[in-house]
Formats: sequence, C-alpha cells, structure tokens
Amino acid sequence: MAPITVGVLALQGGVGEHISLLQKAAAHIVTTQPEILPSDPSKTFNFLEVRTPDALAQCSALIIPGGESTTMAIVARRLGLLDPLRQFVKVEHKPVWGTCAGLVMLAEEASATKQGGQELVGGLDVRVLRNRYGTQIQSFVADLELPFLGGEQEKPFRGVFIRAPVVEEIIAPVSGGTTGVGKNGGVEVLGVYRKKGGKGEGDIVAVKQQNVFGTSFHPELTDDIRIHVWWLKRVLEGVRHGELVVSA
Amino acid sequence: MAANLNGANGTADDAFTVKAGLAQMLKGGVIMDVTNAAEARIAEEAGACAVMALERIPSDIRKLGGVARMSNPQMIKDIQAAVTIPVMAKARIGHVVECQILEALGVDYVDESEVLTPADDQFHVQKSDFTIPFVCGCRNLGEALRRIKEGAAMIRTKGEAGTGDVVEAVKHMRTVNAEIARASAALKDGGPLAVSAMARELGCDAALLQRTAELGRLPVVNFAAGGVATPADAALMMHLGCDGVFVGSGIFKDAETPEHAARRARAIVKAVANFKDAGALIEASIEHGEAMKGISNAGLKPEEKMAGRGW
Repeated sequence: MAPITVGVLALQGGVGEHISLLQKAAAHIVTTQPEILPSDPSKTFNFLEVRTPDALAQCSALIIPGGESTTMAIVARRLGLLDPLRQFVKVEHKPVWGTCAGLVMLAEEASATKQGGQELVGGLDVRVLRNRYGTQIQSFVADLELPFLGGEQEKPFRGVFIRAPVVEEIIAPVSGGTTGVGKNGGVEVLGVYRKKGGKGEGDIVAVKQQNVFGTSFHPELTDDIRIHVWWLKRVLEGVRHGELVVSA
Repeated sequence: MAANLNGANGTADDAFTVKAGLAQMLKGGVIMDVTNAAEARIAEEAGACAVMALERIPSDIRKLGGVARMSNPQMIKDIQAAVTIPVMAKARIGHVVECQILEALGVDYVDESEVLTPADDQFHVQKSDFTIPFVCGCRNLGEALRRIKEGAAMIRTKGEAGTGDVVEAVKHMRTVNAEIARASAALKDGGPLAVSAMARELGCDAALLQRTAELGRLPVVNFAAGGVATPADAALMMHLGCDGVFVGSGIFKDAETPEHAARRARAIVKAVANFKDAGALIEASIEHGEAMKGISNAGLKPEEKMAGRGW
C-alpha cells in the first residue's frame, strides 16, 4: 500500500508549523497505536506542501493553515487552485482541516471581509466572522475544553487566538445534503470559548461537518499534538473503512 | 499518555506566543508600504498579507530630506478603516511615545525603523513592555538578537531602503546566515562555552544565541526589506531563506498609473508565493513591467545610508 499523503496548503502562512506537528503526531501514533495503521508503519504518512493542482491531486487529506485568508484566496485563484480545492472538499469529500484563515476558507459565508468580499472554498455550512476579537492587541491565549479529544482531554487545550475568526452562525445547507445540526451531515459544534466571567453562550471556535473540520485557534503554534493526533486518526479511519482511496 | 501529548510551548510565554505567532501567519507573504487608504486597497486586492502605513515611501524620504517621523494618526485610521488585513506602522528608533500612540491606535505591528530619523542615540525601545508586537531591522546576527532580547517578535533585514538596490538586503541576510552557521558549529564543537564566547563577540545574549544555534535559524520570523524592487529581487530574498518580503518604494515609486502599481504588487505577491517556480517568475516579471528607477547603493555616501542607524 502506498503511503497516505497529507497535504498542507502552502500558498502563505504557518505551513512549516503544521508539517512539524503532523510529523510528531504521526510518530506518536506509530509508537502508541501501531495496530490502527494500515500498512508498514514507516511508510504510513507522507506530508506534502501543496502549491499546485498536481500536488493537491496526490493528497488524501489536506490542512489549510493559518495566514491571511484574503491573500490565500487571491493566490489560490491566480494559481488555478480554487476549483480543485472545492472539488477536493465538496465532491471528493476528503478530510480537510482549516485553522484560523483555513476555517475562513472552508466556510460557505464570511462576514467582515475586505471591500467587495472574498472568495471561499466552502464545505462548512457556517458563516464566520473574521477578526472577531479585533486587531492584534486583542489576540490572546486561553484554555479550552475540547470534549471531542475524549480520553486525551486530561488538561485543557491552550488555544492561541490571533486576529481570530469565530463561527457566527450555522446556516442552511449550501452544499446540499442533510439539513440541521447534528451528527448526520449537519454541523457539529466541537468547541466553544467563553471568556472568564463572560456572559452568554460563548463563541463557537471548533466545528465539524462530515469530512470538514475547522478551528478558530492555532494548535500549530503550540507543541500540543493532541488535535493533530485526533485528526490523523480520523484520516486513518476513512482509509480503513474504504471511504478514502489512497492514490498510488 | 497525556504527559507525552502536552508540550511546554503553549505555557512558556503566552504573550510572546501571540506576538511571534502573528508574524508566523505572515510567512510566505508580502508586506507593502502604503501612504494612504487608496494605496492600501491596491495592496490588499493584490494579495499583500499586511500593509505598512507611513507618511512617505522611503525613496521620497530620501529625496526630501528633513526629519522623518511617525505618520499622522488620521492617515493610519483611514488605512485601518479601508482594509481588513493587518496594518503595521513605523515609529522612530527609541521613540517610546510614538510606539504608545501606535499601540493605542490598535495597529497590528510596530516597526521600530531606521527609515525614520532616530529619536534616541542610546537606546532602542524596550519592546517587551508593550502588548503590541514589534518588528526591527538588522544587518547581522548580533543586532537581530539584541532586538529580540528587547522584545522584538519579528526581524527583517535593514537593506538600504528607498534605493531599489537589493545588494544591502542580500548582504545582511547572508551575514545573518553565515553567523548562524558559525554559532551552530561553535555549539557542536565547543558546546555552551563556545557559544558564550561568540555571544560576547557579537554583543548579544548567550541564551538567545544558544537557542539560535540549536534551531539553525533565528528564533523568530525573518523577512527581507530594503531595496527589493522586482519580482526577481523578492524571489532572491526567499531563495536566501527569508520567510517573506517587505516592499517599500518598489510598488508605488515611478508607477505610471494606479493600475501599474497594482500590477507590480500582484507580480511580487506571485513571485514570493512561487519563488522556486521559474515559469511563475517569468510571468511575474512580465506582469511587473518597468521597475522604479532606483539609486545604486555604491554611489551613496555613508551619511546618506539609513542602515547605519541603530546598533
């Protein structure tokens, strides 16, 4: 079996940080749970910086990193990557994870965009609000409870929020399929941030809809590999269940 | 198992993680000097990852002479209102109050910059005192690590701003790279004592030099700046290992029309995103059109150079 190629979209932003944590997360899985790996563990994952449609075609899963979503959208358009990305996410239904700007790119709608709006890849039936907390001076680090990490959630996750977007609203499905919120195709809320002593329900900062996962914050700016481990395991499950075809 | 899964980084210094983190998110991008909201919009539409607000582009500062200072806050506010990408602004070296004003304005990064006339001939700003992050210029590793010790969360080469001549930026990047290689070799051959000796020689903090030697690169993001005028110049700086590029005068100086400036801006963004792809660099160079005229660095008198400001 060929290795599973996991790409990181490398148009701009925190690319190397994701690759580094993916490598650590893969090594962790190989050490602790070799039984869930589909083939020769040393060959299981291959991590690739994606700048072209050809590189994207080699990938079974993709991370869209943090950066400036405006820049990424413009560069993706100019490199002819927007339509292949939409195909990857919404037609081929391959696992995709966006952090910060990546979450913006994966939303069907975004508010507080540049004049004239910005292009998006889509895949999550949500509207994100860019720069929810304001400018850089309002950027922060906060403890998050992320129950989806299951047994690995033994201590809070240090969420690094930098000019971060949040999910402002879950919207009616744009991409077709099941309506409503829930596990059967709708948007699942996987993480909420409540300011200490703050009122209200808090901000939605982690969501998943089928193959598409998004976080407002930057796990790649910490040494905490838990979310990368969790996500790679989801990718492995897809391969095991035959939902994901690994291209040779 | 959880113990293995949790690293120390997230708790080491949250304030610095957030400051340096924004610079990490700018990597692979182009930061453009702009002097008004219309130019900022051109930069944003071209794909700039941030803009640098200043009163005059460096080539005009050079031409007009006089004292160059922080920009009028109203101009910065207009730019902030016009774009959604990060807005940076320049303060004079050592001018704590200009930095306080920029922080209160809510700009995203302050550039304590030699392009403006220094306000203090003894001290740079103690940048760790601020919540807002700082970027500073350097000509060599010692200077970079002195700025990081003071709290800078991002470094750039000084180059020679406003000339359109990339030679000084290349020299500064090569110097930093060579000194990092020497520090790594010193660590390998002589251990921490050899690193301490080198830190005394460079006039920088030994712990920071040790960390740099271990990483084999600066511990913060490092952009190119000062004389980048064409897509090929920008790609050259990426080739030398810079994380991204500042373009000062190169977008708007001698541009025949706003559309010409926009084409230059798009071309440089493309060149940085695809700096290893010769085909993309050909396209970018054609799109760019005529570059700013420029001034040869070799013809400048020492007192005409900006890079010598700061220490």
